[in-house]
Amino acid sequence: MNETVSLLIEGLVVLIASFVGTFGFAILLQAPRRAWFPASAIGAVAYALSFVLIQLGISQMLAIFLSALLGSVAAQYCARKMRMIATIFITLSIVAQVPGLGLYRCMELLARQQNSAAAAAGVEAMSSILMIALGLGVGAFLFRILVTPRAHRT
Amino acid sequence: MASNPPMDDSCLMAPLQLAGRLIMENGGETYRVEETVTRMGHAFGVTEVESFAIPSGVFISYRKQDGTVETAVKRVRKGPIDLKKVDAVNAVSRRVESEHLSCEEALACLNEIAQAKPLVSKPLQMLAVAVSSGGWAVMFGGGWFDALFATVFTFLVQIVTMLLEKFRVQSLVPTLLGSFLATLLPMLLYHFTQMGQVEMMAAGCLMPLLPGLAMTNAVQDAMRGDMVSGLSHGVSAILTAVLIASGALIATAVSALITGGVL
Repeated sequence: MNETVSLLIEGLVVLIASFVGTFGFAILLQAPRRAWFPASAIGAVAYALSFVLIQLGISQMLAIFLSALLGSVAAQYCARKMRMIATIFITLSIVAQVPGLGLYRCMELLARQQNSAAAAAGVEAMSSILMIALGLGVGAFLFRILVTPRAHRT
Repeated sequence: MASNPPMDDSCLMAPLQLAGRLIMENGGETYRVEETVTRMGHAFGVTEVESFAIPSGVFISYRKQDGTVETAVKRVRKGPIDLKKVDAVNAVSRRVESEHLSCEEALACLNEIAQAKPLVSKPLQMLAVAVSSGGWAVMFGGGWFDALFATVFTFLVQIVTMLLEKFRVQSLVPTLLGSFLATLLPMLLYHFTQMGQVEMMAAGCLMPLLPGLAMTNAVQDAMRGDMVSGLSHGVSAILTAVLIASGALIATAVSALITGGVL
């Protein structure tokens, strides 16, 4: 019970923190004002999902893939509903998942000449990027065949 | 889809070029440029419109009513990303189709977009990015101390990169220097105060530099079979990531020198 509550609280902190981070990115990329909140919410929920899945024991790569997939589909749906370009929502949906910490760890280990650990961290970071790309791609494909039967631009 | 009434086709190239340039300059994907130009051309009543876009240029060609082909090339130089402008151009292209705007009207709308001021002023933008770094630091598992200093350091990095951009230093240098400072400052702070977690602060500061948009565009373009642009955006993303990694690597080495190897 305590573990569940602890996970929920941790998940909530991660959700809020990733929302703040994504919101700042929305401003950095000069996204239209009405997209700031929904795009940040999608990014935050997608990252929180990967966080919770990892905590529940699912492999990190699968968790990243699934959250990028969810983010991609939600982003395209939101873009369609709001009649805005999908790029805004898609970019912001994956921003939190870009492995900044992994890349930093890789470089730090390299500088400390711990080459094997650095290689492992680098491969993990690159795999995360590949999973994000795969999640985005599959999400776009699924959205096209399931939600967009007719030609429609977002 | 009904097209606009026939018109003097000598003015068509200007709005098509401007639409393509605005999308590409402000962070849009190449497929979006090609699609927008082609749709606008068709809506203007031109039958043979071809457009080919790569991240550094847009090529547009259409057949005029007298049977001759008009072709133009527009070199695109990347500026600061402004997704609001990309969205606004997209909206104009829709209006050209649905409201049958003339090319003069479309050009006026596009000029308005081109001259529009940024939605958020530079200082406010820098503040937002700095606060977002605090969010990233907490997201990575850092505490409030890490969030506070990630915010402060990112603000400093933003000031430095803004100054470099003001003096028209090549865009790669601010990225390299930004990642260097984003890594060095947390390390020095930890060395002198023994407070906070270096990697949470540094990773938080590095996040705004990471090439999220280039990566998204690479995937989007590649998914649509546009391998040239997909590769181009992909290489751009990788190059930026390598620069960030290099800056972080140099900072780690410099910090070890300053602190006598204790990090």
